Amino acid sequence: MSHDSGGTTAETTEVAQDESLFETRSVEKMTRGEYYRELFDTWIAAPLRILRSDYRGIFGFALIGIFILMGTIGVWIVPSPEATGPILQPAFKSMEHPLGTDSVGKDMVSLIVHSTPAMLKMVSAGAIFATSLATIIGVSAGYLGGTVDRAMMTIVDVAMTIPGLPLIIVLAAVIDPTSPYLIGILVTINAWAGSSRTIRSQVLTLRNQSYVEASRAMGLSTFTIMSKDVLPNMMPYIMMGFVGTARRVIFASAGLYFIGVLPFSTLNWGVMMNLARSNGALYSPIAAHWLWAPMMAIVLMSLGLILLAQSFDRVFNPRLRAKHQKSSDADDSEVLS
Amino acid sequence: MTVSETQFEHEPEQEIILEVENVSVEFDMERGTSRVLDTVSLDVRRGETIGVVGESGSGKSMFASAMLDAVVDPGILSGDLTYYPNEGEPVDVLNLSDEELRRLRWEEISLVFQGAMSSFNPVIKVEDHFVETLEDHGYDVDEGLERAHQLLADLYLDPNRVLDSYPHELSGGMKQRALIALGLLLEPNVLVMDEPTAALDLLMQRSIISLLEDIKEKYDLTLVFITHDLPLVGELCDRLAVMYSFQFVESGPTAEIIDHAKHPYTRALLNATPNMQMPLETMRPIEGASPDPVNVPPGCSYHPRCELADDLCEAQDPARELIGDDHDVACHHWEESADAIPFDRGESR
Amino acid sequence: MSRSNGEPVISIEDLEVHFEKKDGFLGKSQTVYAVDGLDLDIYENDVLVLVGESGCGKTTLGKTAIGLQEPTGGSVKYRGQDIWDAKEGNGDVDIPYDEIRRSLQIIHQDPGSALNPNRTVMANLSEPLKKWEPDLDLNDRRERIISLLERVGMTPPQDYASRYAHQLSGGEKQRVVLVRALLMNPDLILADEAVSALDVSLRIEMMDLMLELQDLIDTSYLFISHDLSNARYISEKADGRVGIMYLGELVEVGSPERVLFDTKHPYSKVLRWATPDLKSDPDVSSVPPVRRIDIPDAVNPPSGCRFHTRCPEAREVCAQEPPRLLETDDGDRRVACFRAEPDHEYWDSDPIEDESLEVGGAGDDDQATADD
Repeated sequence: MSHDSGGTTAETTEVAQDESLFETRSVEKMTRGEYYRELFDTWIAAPLRILRSDYRGIFGFALIGIFILMGTIGVWIVPSPEATGPILQPAFKSMEHPLGTDSVGKDMVSLIVHSTPAMLKMVSAGAIFATSLATIIGVSAGYLGGTVDRAMMTIVDVAMTIPGLPLIIVLAAVIDPTSPYLIGILVTINAWAGSSRTIRSQVLTLRNQSYVEASRAMGLSTFTIMSKDVLPNMMPYIMMGFVGTARRVIFASAGLYFIGVLPFSTLNWGVMMNLARSNGALYSPIAAHWLWAPMMAIVLMSLGLILLAQSFDRVFNPRLRAKHQKSSDADDSEVLS
Repeated sequence: MTVSETQFEHEPEQEIILEVENVSVEFDMERGTSRVLDTVSLDVRRGETIGVVGESGSGKSMFASAMLDAVVDPGILSGDLTYYPNEGEPVDVLNLSDEELRRLRWEEISLVFQGAMSSFNPVIKVEDHFVETLEDHGYDVDEGLERAHQLLADLYLDPNRVLDSYPHELSGGMKQRALIALGLLLEPNVLVMDEPTAALDLLMQRSIISLLEDIKEKYDLTLVFITHDLPLVGELCDRLAVMYSFQFVESGPTAEIIDHAKHPYTRALLNATPNMQMPLETMRPIEGASPDPVNVPPGCSYHPRCELADDLCEAQDPARELIGDDHDVACHHWEESADAIPFDRGESR
Repeated sequence: MSRSNGEPVISIEDLEVHFEKKDGFLGKSQTVYAVDGLDLDIYENDVLVLVGESGCGKTTLGKTAIGLQEPTGGSVKYRGQDIWDAKEGNGDVDIPYDEIRRSLQIIHQDPGSALNPNRTVMANLSEPLKKWEPDLDLNDRRERIISLLERVGMTPPQDYASRYAHQLSGGEKQRVVLVRALLMNPDLILADEAVSALDVSLRIEMMDLMLELQDLIDTSYLFISHDLSNARYISEKADGRVGIMYLGELVEVGSPERVLFDTKHPYSKVLRWATPDLKSDPDVSSVPPVRRIDIPDAVNPPSGCRFHTRCPEAREVCAQEPPRLLETDDGDRRVACFRAEPDHEYWDSDPIEDESLEVGGAGDDDQATADD
C-alpha cells in the first residue's frame, strides 16, 4: 500500500500521513488490459458461467439460439418456399420434405424457417418497446413520486382502461403496418401499462432501503440512484416481464393474423396453423402435420424464452454472481449469521 | 476434535425437567459440513430460569430450535433429548411420532420466537391466532380463550382490545406480550424464549422481564431465556450458560458467573459489554471474530482470540469440567484466567 | 476530542417536523408531532448522543439535522446557511447546496440493507468518489478506497474490496459503511443506532474506531441510541454531550456525568432505571418509576409538560404549562423540569392523583413509526 507523501521530517510525518488518506494517488496502475478483462469477467463470462450451470439456462439458451440461427443463417441455407412439392405430403416421409408440405406443395421446413425472421423481429420489437416503456415509467413514477408519479399513473390508468384488442384493430386499420417491427410494437401498445404499475410498486419498497437513502445523503444524482441502486434490484422482475410480453406477442400476432386484422401473409406460424385448421387438420390426419409443425415452433420458442428468463433470474442474484466470478475468492465465506 | 461432554456431571438438588445430551446439528453445504451446534449438553432444572448467553453466530437460536426438535430442513439433529413430565415416564423427544411431537410442542414445551414483529400473520386478527392454536391441538376453544384473556391481563394488556386487533395495530411491546401469551396458552411447563426483548424499548424490555418473573411464579414455569445481552439476564436468571462457537463454554449460578467467571471468553465478554457501572478504561473489545461453522479452528475454538492460548489449546478441545459449586467450564487454563483478564468493576455509579 | 465553542456546524432553531397521518380512506388526517420546538447546536469535532425510546423523534431530528428531512417549521443551518434555502436557491446562498450535501452523511442501523447488494464493496465505494472527486482516475480511486479499508482494519483490503455485501459479516459491513461516509470528508455524520445491530463484543470496537477516525478527519458525530450504556460509553470517551428526548422534545441535555449519573429529569431517571446493570442493586425496586408503561401517541401529545401523564412527581401545573430547557446551577446541563427551579409555583401545586402504575392497554398506542 502506498502513500506518496511519506513525510519528510518526524513532525510532519503524522500530519502528512493523516492527510494523505485523502491525497493518495496510486502508484501501481491497473493496466487497461486488466481492467477490460475484469469488466469482461463481470459482465459476460460470469453470467455465462451461471447460465451454463443451470439446466434451464442451457436449454433456454439452446432453444433461443436455434431460432436465432434459423432466422439469420437459416434463411440463407434453406430455400424459399415454393409451390413445387407434392401436395400435403405427411412429415417424416422423405428427406426432401422432412416435415411434409402444405396444400399447395410448399415445403413445411422452409415455411417455418422463413417465418422466423419476421417473428423474431416482431417479438423483439414488441418486448423491448413494452418493457422499456414500462420500466422507465414505473421506475420514474415510483422513485420520483409527487406530481411526476401522479401524472404518469394517470396516463397509465388511461392506457389500461382502453380495451386492447379494439385499439389494436383500429390502429392496424389506420396504419396498415407491413414492417414486423411496427407490428410488434402495435401489438403491445398498451401491454406495458399493467407492468409499469407492478414495477412502480416494487420501486416503492426499494426506495426506502437504507442504501438508497445513503445514496441520497451522498448527493448522488437521481439518475445514478435509479440506474445503479434501484434498477439492478428490479432486473429479475423486468426479465420476467420481458418474457411475458414476448410470448404475448407471439400469440397475439398469430391471433391477429387469423382475424385478418394484420395483412395476410403465409409466412407466419399462426397463419399456417389457421390454414391447416380450415383445411381440416383437426379432423383428419392428412393435414395434421401442417398444424403441429408450426405449433411446435411456437411452443418451443415460448419455452425457450421462459427457461432463459428463469435462468437469468440466477444471473441477477449477487450471491451466485459472486460465486462464479474469478475476481473474488472462489470458495468464499458466505456468512451464515 | 470435539470431546464428549458427559464427564462433568453436576449433582443438582432440583430435579431435571429437560435434558440435552450431546446434541449436534449439521448442515451439508457446498463448501463443507456446517456444524451449527457441536455436541452440546445442558440440564434444565424444574422451576428454574436459565439464561443461555451467546452472540450471533454462536448457535444459540439453533439451540432453541433443537430443544423442540424443530431444526429447519435440511439440518440434521443428532444426540439425546429427554423431557421429564410432571408425571409419567421420561420422554425421548427425538424419537417421538409426529403426533406425539406435536402434542409435546406447545403443550409441554413452548417457544417464543425472536422478532415478534413478524411472528404474527398480518391478515388475521390476534384472536384468530389463538383460536387456530387451540383448534390445532384439539382444545376447547371457549375455555382456551378464557385462559387467553387471563394471560393477556396478567401481561398488562387489555384482552378485548388486543384480541380484536390486527397485528399491525399493536405496538412492538404489545405484540411481544401477546406472543408470550400465545406461548402460554396450552399450559406448558417449559417456556423457551429466543431474544424476546430484542427490538423493544428500554422501559418495555425491563417491564417484560419483571412480568416474566411474576408469570413464572403464577403458572409454575421453567424458563429458558436465550439472549446476547448479559446484563439483561443478570437479574432474571438463576443460572447462566455461555455459548461460543456452537458449544457451551461455561455454566453456573448467575452471581458466580458474573463475579467469578472462569472461561476467558466469558470474562472478555463481561469486559466488552458496555454498561453504566464499570470505568471506561476497563471496557475492552474482543479481538477477532467468531468462527465460520464450516471452518472451526482446531482444538479449543476460542484459541485464536484467547490471551491464555498455548499449544495445548490448539491441539486439544478442552472438556467441560466441574470446578466449583455447580460451576463448570471448558478451558485448559481456567485457573489463570482471573489474573489474565481482570475485572475492574469500580464503584457502583 | 472536545468540542470547540466556535461557530456551530449545524444550528437548529425552533425546529418543527410534523407529519400528516391519514386515518383510513375517508378519515380525517392527523398530525404527528414528531419534533416540536427544538433548539440544538452541534459544533466542530463534537459528539452528541441522542437517547430516547421509539416515537420520541430522535431519528427524525437526526435526519433533519443532516438535511434528509425537510422541517415543517423552524430552521436548520449549516455554518449559518439555511440548508433548505440553499437547496431551493432562495435568497443569497453563501454556501452552495452541493457542499452542504457532501458534508452531512449518515450511517444506518442495519448494516444488512445499507449497501447495494448487487455491487461489490469497491463499486459501492467508488460511486461517491466519482461524484465528488471527478479528477481522480480509476486507479486513484481504487487506491484511496483500499487505503481507507485498511485503516479501518479490514485486511487484506483488496480481498474485501472485491466482495459483495452478503460475503461480509455484520461488523465488516458496518465498517464499510463507515468508510463510505468518511470518503467524502464530512463535517457531521449521523450514526443512527450504528452499533445496535452489532454483537455486544463488537460494539466497543466500532465506537472506538469511530472516535479514532474523528480525530483524523475532523468530523462531528450525532449518535442516536436507545441504549444508555452505549450512549454513556461514547459520550464519556469523547467528552461529548448526551441529550434525552421525549415525544419530540429535548428534556435534558448536557455532559454524561450530569445527565446519566446525576439525572434531574424524571424521565431520564426512568431510562436509567430501565437500563440493566451487571450487578443488580437490591435497593432498586422492580416497579418502574412511572405511572404508565406505554408511551402516549405523538398524534395527541399531552398538554403542558408532555411527560406529566406518566411522571411520578407530576403536579397540576405540569399539565398546564410546558417547562423550558434551562441551565442548572451545577452547570454543564440543561433540563426542562419545574423541579429544577426552586422558585416555581410547581412547589405550591397539588400532585396529580390517579391510579399508580396503570400499565399499558386501553388508549395508549406507542406504535413505532418508521420516522422516529
